[in-house]
Amino acid sequence: MLAKFLKSSIGRKQIVAVSGLLLMLFLVFHLSVNLGIYLGPHTYNLLAHRLEQLGPVRVVAEAGLTGLFLIHIFFTFLVVKASRRARKIGYAVQSSSAQRSLSTRLMPLTGTVLLVFIISHLIDFKFIDVNNTLLAVVEEHNLGLYGIVVNSFRNPFTSTWYMIAMIAVGSHLSHAIDSVFQTFGLNDGDTHRGLHKSSVIIGTLIALLFGSIPLYVLLTHGSLLQQ
Amino acid sequence: MDKTISLTLKVWRQKNAEDPGKFELYPVKDISIDASFLEMLDVLNEQLVLEGQVPIAFDHDCREGICGTCGAVVNGRPHGRLSKTTLCQLHMRHYSDGDTIVIEPFRAKAFPVVKDLVVDRSSFDRIVRKGGYVSVRTGQAPDAHATAVSKPDADLSMDAAQCIGCAACVAACPNASAMLFVGAKVSQYALLPQGQVERKIRAQAMVSQMDAEGFGACSNEYECEAACPKGISVSNIARLNREFLRSSI
Repeated sequence: MLAKFLKSSIGRKQIVAVSGLLLMLFLVFHLSVNLGIYLGPHTYNLLAHRLEQLGPVRVVAEAGLTGLFLIHIFFTFLVVKASRRARKIGYAVQSSSAQRSLSTRLMPLTGTVLLVFIISHLIDFKFIDVNNTLLAVVEEHNLGLYGIVVNSFRNPFTSTWYMIAMIAVGSHLSHAIDSVFQTFGLNDGDTHRGLHKSSVIIGTLIALLFGSIPLYVLLTHGSLLQQ
Repeated sequence: MDKTISLTLKVWRQKNAEDPGKFELYPVKDISIDASFLEMLDVLNEQLVLEGQVPIAFDHDCREGICGTCGAVVNGRPHGRLSKTTLCQLHMRHYSDGDTIVIEPFRAKAFPVVKDLVVDRSSFDRIVRKGGYVSVRTGQAPDAHATAVSKPDADLSMDAAQCIGCAACVAACPNASAMLFVGAKVSQYALLPQGQVERKIRAQAMVSQMDAEGFGACSNEYECEAACPKGISVSNIARLNREFLRSSI
Protein backbone atom coordinates (compact mmCIF):
# COMPACT_ATOMS: atom_id res chain seq x y z
CA MET A 1 0.00 0.00 0.00
CA LEU A 2 2.82 2.39 0.91
CA ALA A 3 4.66 1.59 -2.32
CA LYS A 4 1.48 2.34 -4.30
CA PHE A 5 1.00 5.58 -2.38
CA LEU A 6 4.59 6.68 -3.06
CA LYS A 7 4.25 5.86 -6.76
CA SER A 8 1.00 7.80 -7.24
CA SER A 9 0.98 11.44 -8.32
CA ILE A 10 -1.28 12.40 -5.38
CA GLY A 11 0.79 10.47 -2.83
CA ARG A 12 3.96 12.15 -4.03
CA LYS A 13 2.34 15.57 -3.81
CA GLN A 14 1.17 14.83 -0.28
CA ILE A 15 4.75 13.92 0.66
CA VAL A 16 5.93 17.25 -0.83
CA ALA A 17 3.18 19.05 1.10
CA VAL A 18 3.84 17.46 4.48
CA SER A 19 7.64 17.87 4.20
CA GLY A 20 7.11 21.49 3.13
CA LEU A 21 4.79 22.10 6.07
CA LEU A 22 7.37 20.73 8.53
CA LEU A 23 10.08 22.84 6.90
CA MET A 24 7.85 25.88 7.31
CA LEU A 25 7.40 25.11 11.01
CA PHE A 26 11.19 24.99 11.31
CA LEU A 27 11.35 28.33 9.49
CA VAL A 28 9.01 29.90 12.05
CA PHE A 29 11.22 28.56 14.85
CA HIS A 30 14.32 29.85 13.04
CA LEU A 31 12.64 33.26 12.68
CA SER A 32 11.76 33.45 16.37
CA VAL A 33 15.44 32.83 17.25
CA ASN A 34 16.65 35.32 14.61
CA LEU A 35 14.39 38.04 15.97
CA GLY A 36 16.47 37.76 19.16
CA ILE A 37 18.89 40.09 17.37
CA TYR A 38 16.61 42.97 18.40
CA LEU A 39 17.28 42.05 22.06
CA GLY A 40 20.99 42.82 21.73
CA PRO A 41 24.25 40.84 21.54
CA HIS A 42 24.03 39.27 24.97
CA THR A 43 20.57 37.69 24.56
CA TYR A 44 21.22 36.72 20.94
CA ASN A 45 24.47 34.94 21.76
CA LEU A 46 22.84 33.29 24.76
CA LEU A 47 20.03 31.95 22.54
CA ALA A 48 22.61 30.59 20.07
CA HIS A 49 24.58 29.07 22.90
CA ARG A 50 21.50 27.34 24.31
CA LEU A 51 20.86 25.80 20.89
CA GLU A 52 24.48 24.61 20.73
CA GLN A 53 24.06 23.03 24.16
CA LEU A 54 21.14 20.88 23.01
CA GLY A 55 23.74 18.32 21.90
CA PRO A 56 22.21 15.06 20.61
CA VAL A 57 18.76 16.67 20.23
CA ARG A 58 20.29 19.23 17.91
CA VAL A 59 22.11 16.54 15.90
CA VAL A 60 18.87 14.57 15.45
CA ALA A 61 16.95 17.75 14.54
CA GLU A 62 19.60 18.73 11.98
CA ALA A 63 19.61 15.25 10.45
CA GLY A 64 15.79 15.36 10.33
CA LEU A 65 15.84 18.76 8.66
CA THR A 66 18.36 17.59 6.06
CA GLY A 67 16.16 14.56 5.43
CA LEU A 68 13.07 16.76 5.04
CA PHE A 69 14.86 19.00 2.55
CA LEU A 70 16.02 16.05 0.49
CA ILE A 71 12.56 14.43 0.56
CA HIS A 72 10.90 17.75 -0.40
CA ILE A 73 13.28 18.27 -3.32
CA PHE A 74 13.32 14.64 -4.48
CA PHE A 75 9.54 14.23 -4.59
CA THR A 76 9.11 17.67 -6.19
CA PHE A 77 11.56 16.52 -8.85
CA LEU A 78 9.52 13.33 -9.48
CA VAL A 79 6.23 15.26 -9.71
CA VAL A 80 7.68 17.91 -12.03
CA LYS A 81 9.30 15.28 -14.24
CA ALA A 82 5.96 13.49 -14.72
CA SER A 83 4.22 16.78 -15.44
CA ARG A 84 6.81 17.84 -18.02
CA ARG A 85 6.34 14.50 -19.76
CA ALA A 86 2.56 14.96 -19.80
CA ARG A 87 2.73 17.68 -22.47
CA LYS A 88 5.46 17.16 -25.01
CA ILE A 89 4.20 19.70 -27.53
CA GLY A 90 3.32 23.07 -26.02
CA TYR A 91 0.91 25.71 -27.26
CA ALA A 92 1.86 28.33 -29.86
CA VAL A 93 -0.12 30.93 -27.87
CA GLN A 94 0.42 30.98 -24.11
CA SER A 95 -2.40 32.52 -22.15
CA SER A 96 -3.22 32.17 -18.46
CA SER A 97 -6.38 33.07 -16.63
CA ALA A 98 -6.42 35.34 -13.59
CA GLN A 99 -6.72 32.17 -11.45
CA ARG A 100 -2.99 31.52 -11.73
CA SER A 101 -1.28 33.73 -9.18
CA LEU A 102 2.20 35.16 -9.62
CA SER A 103 3.56 33.16 -6.68
CA THR A 104 2.26 29.97 -8.33
CA ARG A 105 3.94 30.79 -11.61
CA LEU A 106 7.19 31.60 -9.84
CA MET A 107 7.37 28.35 -7.80
CA PRO A 108 10.17 26.78 -9.93
CA LEU A 109 12.19 30.01 -9.76
CA THR A 110 11.65 30.69 -6.05
CA GLY A 111 12.36 27.04 -5.22
CA THR A 112 15.67 27.17 -7.10
CA VAL A 113 16.65 30.51 -5.50
CA LEU A 114 15.92 29.01 -2.07
CA LEU A 115 18.02 25.92 -2.76
CA VAL A 116 21.01 28.06 -3.78
CA PHE A 117 20.39 30.40 -0.84
CA ILE A 118 20.20 27.59 1.73
CA ILE A 119 23.56 26.23 0.57
CA SER A 120 25.19 29.69 0.69
CA HIS A 121 23.47 30.44 4.01
CA LEU A 122 24.86 27.26 5.60
CA ILE A 123 28.35 28.17 4.35
CA ASP A 124 27.96 31.73 5.73
CA PHE A 125 26.56 30.98 9.18
CA LYS A 126 26.53 27.27 9.97
CA PHE A 127 29.98 26.13 8.94
CA ILE A 128 31.75 29.21 10.20
CA ASP A 129 34.32 29.39 12.99
CA VAL A 130 32.34 31.19 15.69
CA ASN A 131 35.54 31.70 17.68
CA ASN A 132 37.23 33.60 14.86
CA THR A 133 37.46 36.98 16.56
CA LEU A 134 38.35 38.72 13.30
CA LEU A 135 34.81 38.10 12.01
CA ALA A 136 33.09 38.89 15.31
CA VAL A 137 34.60 42.26 16.14
CA VAL A 138 32.22 45.19 15.73
CA GLU A 139 33.56 48.64 16.60
CA GLU A 140 36.45 47.05 18.56
CA HIS A 141 34.14 44.78 20.62
CA ASN A 142 34.12 41.03 20.20
CA LEU A 143 30.39 40.33 19.93
CA GLY A 144 30.60 36.62 19.09
CA LEU A 145 27.91 35.23 16.75
CA TYR A 146 26.00 38.53 16.96
CA GLY A 147 29.12 40.27 15.63
CA ILE A 148 29.47 37.75 12.80
CA VAL A 149 25.83 38.36 11.78
CA VAL A 150 26.27 42.15 11.95
CA ASN A 151 29.50 42.09 9.94
CA SER A 152 27.93 39.83 7.31
CA PHE A 153 24.92 42.07 6.82
CA ARG A 154 27.05 45.22 6.74
CA ASN A 155 28.20 43.88 3.39
CA PRO A 156 25.45 45.25 1.09
CA PHE A 157 25.89 42.36 -1.36
CA THR A 158 25.18 39.81 1.39
CA SER A 159 22.20 41.86 2.63
CA THR A 160 20.77 42.27 -0.86
CA TRP A 161 21.15 38.56 -1.64
CA TYR A 162 19.54 37.74 1.71
CA MET A 163 16.59 40.05 1.03
CA ILE A 164 16.12 38.62 -2.49
CA ALA A 165 16.04 35.15 -0.92
CA MET A 166 13.48 36.34 1.63
CA ILE A 167 11.26 37.65 -1.17
CA ALA A 168 11.57 34.15 -2.66
CA VAL A 169 10.62 32.64 0.74
CA GLY A 170 7.56 34.90 0.95
CA SER A 171 6.45 34.08 -2.58
CA HIS A 172 7.11 30.33 -2.14
CA LEU A 173 5.09 30.24 1.09
CA SER A 174 2.26 32.33 -0.39
CA HIS A 175 1.55 29.46 -2.77
CA ALA A 176 2.66 26.67 -0.44
CA ILE A 177 0.47 27.21 2.63
CA ASP A 178 -2.66 27.43 0.51
CA SER A 179 -1.52 24.35 -1.44
CA VAL A 180 -1.03 22.21 1.67
CA PHE A 181 -4.73 22.64 2.50
CA GLN A 182 -5.75 21.82 -1.07
CA THR A 183 -3.43 18.81 -1.34
CA PHE A 184 -4.75 17.31 1.88
CA GLY A 185 -8.31 17.98 0.84
CA LEU A 186 -9.09 20.58 3.49
CA ASN A 187 -10.37 23.14 0.99
CA ASP A 188 -14.14 22.81 0.78
CA GLY A 189 -14.67 25.57 -1.77
CA ASP A 190 -16.03 28.22 0.58
CA THR A 191 -12.69 28.43 2.40
CA HIS A 192 -10.68 28.72 -0.82
CA ARG A 193 -10.46 32.52 -1.04
CA GLY A 194 -9.81 32.92 2.68
CA LEU A 195 -7.09 30.28 2.57
CA HIS A 196 -5.32 31.97 -0.30
CA LYS A 197 -5.42 35.36 1.43
CA SER A 198 -4.14 33.92 4.72
CA SER A 199 -1.41 32.13 2.80
CA VAL A 200 -0.24 35.38 1.18
CA ILE A 201 -0.40 37.25 4.51
CA ILE A 202 1.62 34.61 6.42
CA GLY A 203 4.19 34.32 3.59
CA THR A 204 4.62 38.09 3.39
CA LEU A 205 4.87 38.44 7.17
CA ILE A 206 7.58 35.78 7.46
CA ALA A 207 9.52 37.39 4.57
CA LEU A 208 9.21 40.89 6.10
CA LEU A 209 10.35 39.76 9.55
CA PHE A 210 13.38 37.89 8.18
CA GLY A 211 14.17 40.73 5.75
CA SER A 212 13.98 43.33 8.52
CA ILE A 213 17.16 41.95 10.12
CA PRO A 214 19.70 42.96 7.42
CA LEU A 215 17.89 46.32 7.09
CA TYR A 216 18.16 46.85 10.86
CA VAL A 217 21.89 46.02 10.76
CA LEU A 218 22.52 48.38 7.84
CA LEU A 219 20.57 51.19 9.50
CA THR A 220 22.16 50.80 12.93
CA HIS A 221 25.73 49.85 12.01
CA GLY A 222 26.07 51.25 8.48
CA SER A 223 27.32 49.59 5.33
CA LEU A 224 30.91 48.38 5.01
CA LEU A 225 31.11 50.32 1.73
CA GLN A 226 30.70 53.59 3.61
CA GLN A 227 33.95 53.02 5.56
CA MET B 1 -28.22 42.20 -43.26
CA ASP B 2 -26.29 40.93 -40.27
CA LYS B 3 -23.05 42.58 -39.30
CA THR B 4 -20.13 40.56 -40.65
CA ILE B 5 -16.43 40.38 -39.88
CA SER B 6 -13.38 39.11 -41.70
CA LEU B 7 -10.67 37.19 -39.91
CA THR B 8 -7.37 35.45 -40.39
CA LEU B 9 -7.30 31.95 -38.93
CA LYS B 10 -4.07 30.22 -38.02
CA VAL B 11 -5.12 26.59 -37.73
CA TRP B 12 -3.14 23.50 -36.71
CA ARG B 13 -3.19 21.00 -39.58
CA GLN B 14 -2.03 17.44 -39.03
CA LYS B 15 -2.90 14.59 -41.42
CA ASN B 16 -2.68 11.81 -38.82
CA ALA B 17 -0.99 10.83 -35.55
CA GLU B 18 2.37 10.28 -37.27
CA ASP B 19 2.41 13.56 -39.20
CA PRO B 20 4.42 16.28 -37.39
CA GLY B 21 1.76 18.86 -38.29
CA LYS B 22 2.02 22.60 -38.88
CA PHE B 23 0.01 25.81 -38.78
CA GLU B 24 -1.77 27.00 -41.93
CA LEU B 25 -3.17 30.48 -42.50
CA TYR B 26 -6.73 30.86 -43.80
CA PRO B 27 -8.46 34.17 -44.48
CA VAL B 28 -12.23 34.00 -43.86
CA LYS B 29 -14.55 36.74 -45.08
CA ASP B 30 -18.04 37.95 -44.30
CA ILE B 31 -18.63 35.86 -41.19
CA SER B 32 -21.89 36.77 -39.45
CA ILE B 33 -21.26 37.91 -35.89
CA ASP B 34 -24.24 35.72 -34.91
CA ALA B 35 -22.44 32.62 -36.13
CA SER B 36 -20.96 30.28 -33.55
CA PHE B 37 -17.27 29.48 -33.65
CA LEU B 38 -18.00 26.05 -35.13
CA GLU B 39 -20.32 27.57 -37.76
CA MET B 40 -17.47 29.88 -38.70
CA LEU B 41 -15.28 26.78 -39.18
CA ASP B 42 -18.10 25.20 -41.24
CA VAL B 43 -18.01 28.23 -43.55
CA LEU B 44 -14.24 27.87 -43.92
CA ASN B 45 -14.59 24.13 -44.57
CA GLU B 46 -17.18 24.70 -47.32
CA GLN B 47 -14.76 27.15 -48.89
CA LEU B 48 -11.91 24.59 -48.62
CA VAL B 49 -14.02 21.82 -50.19
CA LEU B 50 -14.95 24.09 -53.11
CA GLU B 51 -11.26 24.83 -53.61
CA GLY B 52 -10.51 21.09 -53.66
CA GLN B 53 -8.67 21.18 -50.33
CA VAL B 54 -9.10 18.87 -47.34
CA PRO B 55 -11.48 20.43 -44.79
CA ILE B 56 -10.34 20.99 -41.19
CA ALA B 57 -11.27 18.08 -38.90
CA PHE B 58 -12.79 19.14 -35.59
CA ASP B 59 -14.93 17.33 -33.02
CA HIS B 60 -18.55 18.39 -32.51
CA ASP B 61 -21.88 16.83 -31.72
CA CYS B 62 -24.78 18.55 -29.94
CA ARG B 63 -23.66 22.14 -30.57
CA GLU B 64 -25.72 23.08 -27.51
CA GLY B 65 -22.91 23.14 -24.95
CA ILE B 66 -24.01 19.97 -23.18
CA CYS B 67 -22.25 17.01 -24.77
CA GLY B 68 -18.58 17.87 -24.24
CA THR B 69 -17.52 16.74 -27.70
CA CYS B 70 -16.24 20.01 -29.15
CA GLY B 71 -13.16 21.79 -27.99
CA ALA B 72 -9.99 23.40 -29.26
CA VAL B 73 -7.53 25.89 -27.85
CA VAL B 74 -8.37 29.33 -29.19
CA ASN B 75 -5.71 32.02 -28.72
CA GLY B 76 -4.19 29.98 -25.88
CA ARG B 77 -7.46 29.24 -24.03
CA PRO B 78 -9.46 26.01 -24.25
CA HIS B 79 -12.94 26.79 -25.65
CA GLY B 80 -11.80 30.42 -26.10
CA ARG B 81 -11.59 33.18 -23.54
CA LEU B 82 -15.24 33.33 -22.42
CA SER B 83 -15.86 31.75 -19.04
CA LYS B 84 -18.19 28.75 -18.64
CA THR B 85 -18.65 28.43 -22.39
CA THR B 86 -18.01 25.52 -24.74
CA LEU B 87 -16.50 26.23 -28.14
CA CYS B 88 -19.86 25.63 -29.87
CA GLN B 89 -21.47 28.30 -27.67
CA LEU B 90 -18.77 30.88 -28.37
CA HIS B 91 -20.10 33.37 -30.87
CA MET B 92 -18.25 35.50 -33.36
CA ARG B 93 -19.61 38.75 -31.87
CA HIS B 94 -16.81 38.38 -29.31
CA TYR B 95 -14.27 39.00 -32.09
CA SER B 96 -13.49 42.11 -34.11
CA ASP B 97 -13.02 42.62 -37.81
CA GLY B 98 -9.41 41.93 -38.81
CA ASP B 99 -8.58 39.68 -35.81
CA THR B 100 -6.15 36.82 -36.16
CA ILE B 101 -7.29 33.71 -34.29
CA VAL B 102 -4.91 30.86 -33.49
CA ILE B 103 -6.65 27.47 -33.19
CA GLU B 104 -4.78 24.49 -31.76
CA PRO B 105 -5.80 21.04 -30.58
CA PHE B 106 -5.88 20.18 -26.84
CA ARG B 107 -2.27 19.29 -26.03
CA ALA B 108 -1.51 16.36 -23.74
CA LYS B 109 0.45 13.15 -24.06
CA ALA B 110 -2.71 11.33 -22.98
CA PHE B 111 -4.68 12.95 -25.84
CA PRO B 112 -2.85 12.06 -29.06
CA VAL B 113 -3.91 14.07 -32.10
CA VAL B 114 -6.02 11.99 -34.49
CA LYS B 115 -6.30 14.65 -37.18
CA ASP B 116 -6.06 18.46 -37.20
CA LEU B 117 -8.04 19.59 -34.11
CA VAL B 118 -9.40 16.14 -33.22
CA VAL B 119 -7.73 14.43 -30.28
CA ASP B 120 -8.29 10.95 -28.88
CA ARG B 121 -9.79 11.40 -25.39
CA SER B 122 -10.41 7.69 -24.77
CA SER B 123 -7.99 7.93 -21.80
CA PHE B 124 -10.92 9.61 -19.98
CA ASP B 125 -13.17 6.64 -20.82
CA ARG B 126 -10.58 4.22 -19.43
CA ILE B 127 -10.44 6.23 -16.18
CA VAL B 128 -14.24 6.23 -15.88
CA ARG B 129 -14.32 2.49 -16.55
CA LYS B 130 -12.15 1.99 -13.44
CA GLY B 131 -14.64 3.48 -11.01
CA GLY B 132 -17.43 5.48 -12.62
CA TYR B 133 -20.14 3.06 -11.52
CA VAL B 134 -22.10 2.00 -8.43
CA SER B 135 -23.28 -1.42 -7.24
CA VAL B 136 -27.03 -1.87 -6.99
CA ARG B 137 -29.20 -4.66 -5.69
CA THR B 138 -30.93 -6.84 -8.23
CA GLY B 139 -34.67 -7.39 -8.09
CA GLN B 140 -37.35 -4.77 -8.07
CA ALA B 141 -36.37 -1.14 -8.29
CA PRO B 142 -36.44 0.45 -4.82
CA ASP B 143 -38.72 3.39 -4.09
CA ALA B 144 -37.13 6.62 -5.22
CA HIS B 145 -37.25 8.02 -1.69
CA ALA B 146 -35.93 4.86 0.01
CA THR B 147 -32.45 6.32 0.51
CA ALA B 148 -32.25 9.73 2.11
CA VAL B 149 -29.64 12.17 0.75
CA SER B 150 -28.97 15.47 2.48
CA LYS B 151 -29.57 18.57 0.38
CA PRO B 152 -25.99 19.94 0.66
CA ASP B 153 -24.52 16.57 -0.37
CA ALA B 154 -26.99 16.21 -3.22
CA ASP B 155 -26.12 19.71 -4.45
CA LEU B 156 -22.36 19.11 -4.30
CA SER B 157 -22.73 15.76 -6.01
CA MET B 158 -24.87 17.21 -8.79
CA ASP B 159 -22.39 20.09 -9.20
CA ALA B 160 -19.63 17.52 -9.73
CA ALA B 161 -21.87 15.48 -12.05
CA GLN B 162 -22.16 18.50 -14.35
CA CYS B 163 -18.75 17.57 -15.79
CA ILE B 164 -19.23 16.80 -19.49
CA GLY B 165 -15.75 15.31 -19.88
CA CYS B 166 -14.72 17.78 -22.57
CA ALA B 167 -11.09 17.76 -21.32
CA ALA B 168 -10.65 21.56 -21.30
CA CYS B 169 -9.27 21.16 -17.75
CA VAL B 170 -6.40 19.03 -19.03
CA ALA B 171 -5.81 21.38 -21.97
CA ALA B 172 -5.66 24.42 -19.66
CA CYS B 173 -3.48 22.85 -16.98
CA PRO B 174 0.22 23.76 -17.30
CA ASN B 175 0.93 20.14 -16.30
CA ALA B 176 -1.77 18.54 -18.47
CA SER B 177 -3.26 17.13 -15.28
CA ALA B 178 -6.65 15.41 -15.25
CA MET B 179 -7.29 16.07 -11.54
CA LEU B 180 -10.39 18.23 -12.07
CA PHE B 181 -12.03 15.59 -14.26
CA VAL B 182 -11.13 12.70 -11.92
CA GLY B 183 -11.99 14.87 -8.90
CA ALA B 184 -15.47 15.52 -10.32
CA LYS B 185 -16.05 11.85 -11.15
CA VAL B 186 -14.87 10.61 -7.74
CA SER B 187 -16.79 13.36 -5.88
CA GLN B 188 -20.07 12.72 -7.63
CA TYR B 189 -20.19 9.17 -6.15
CA ALA B 190 -18.30 9.71 -2.89
CA LEU B 191 -20.92 12.25 -1.77
CA LEU B 192 -23.88 9.93 -2.25
CA PRO B 193 -24.93 6.86 -0.20
CA GLN B 194 -25.15 4.87 -3.43
CA GLY B 195 -21.45 5.43 -4.08
CA GLN B 196 -20.18 4.07 -0.76
CA VAL B 197 -19.71 0.44 -1.82
CA GLU B 198 -16.80 1.20 -4.15
CA ARG B 199 -15.70 4.38 -2.38
CA LYS B 200 -12.21 3.13 -1.43
CA ILE B 201 -11.35 1.18 -4.53
CA ARG B 202 -12.78 3.90 -6.77
CA ALA B 203 -10.33 6.59 -5.64
CA GLN B 204 -7.39 4.19 -5.88
CA ALA B 205 -8.34 2.70 -9.24
CA MET B 206 -9.20 5.98 -10.97
CA VAL B 207 -6.03 7.73 -9.73
CA SER B 208 -3.92 4.75 -10.72
CA GLN B 209 -5.42 4.77 -14.25
CA MET B 210 -4.99 8.57 -14.45
CA ASP B 211 -1.28 8.21 -13.69
CA ALA B 212 -0.91 5.27 -16.10
CA GLU B 213 -2.43 7.35 -18.93
CA GLY B 214 0.40 9.87 -18.53
CA PHE B 215 -1.45 12.90 -17.18
CA GLY B 216 0.64 15.33 -15.12
CA ALA B 217 0.29 16.19 -11.44
CA CYS B 218 -1.83 19.02 -10.07
CA SER B 219 0.23 21.98 -8.89
CA ASN B 220 -2.77 23.97 -7.66
CA GLU B 221 -2.69 26.54 -10.45
CA TYR B 222 -6.50 26.36 -10.84
CA GLU B 223 -6.38 27.02 -14.58
CA CYS B 224 -8.70 24.02 -14.94
CA GLU B 225 -11.52 25.68 -13.00
CA ALA B 226 -11.17 28.85 -15.10
CA ALA B 227 -11.36 26.86 -18.34
CA CYS B 228 -14.18 24.50 -17.32
CA PRO B 229 -17.34 25.25 -19.34
CA LYS B 230 -19.41 23.85 -16.46
CA GLY B 231 -17.59 25.76 -13.71
CA ILE B 232 -16.54 22.60 -11.83
CA SER B 233 -14.88 23.78 -8.61
CA VAL B 234 -11.32 22.87 -7.61
CA SER B 235 -12.79 21.83 -4.26
CA ASN B 236 -13.50 18.56 -6.12
CA ILE B 237 -9.72 18.15 -6.50
CA ALA B 238 -9.39 18.69 -2.74
CA ARG B 239 -12.05 16.02 -2.20
CA LEU B 240 -10.17 13.64 -4.53
CA ASN B 241 -6.97 14.25 -2.54
CA ARG B 242 -8.88 13.50 0.65
CA GLU B 243 -10.54 10.38 -0.78
CA PHE B 244 -7.20 9.12 -2.04
CA LEU B 245 -5.48 9.65 1.32
CA ARG B 246 -8.41 8.02 3.14
CA SER B 247 -8.30 4.99 0.87
CA SER B 248 -4.50 4.70 1.26
CA ILE B 249 -4.59 4.47 5.06
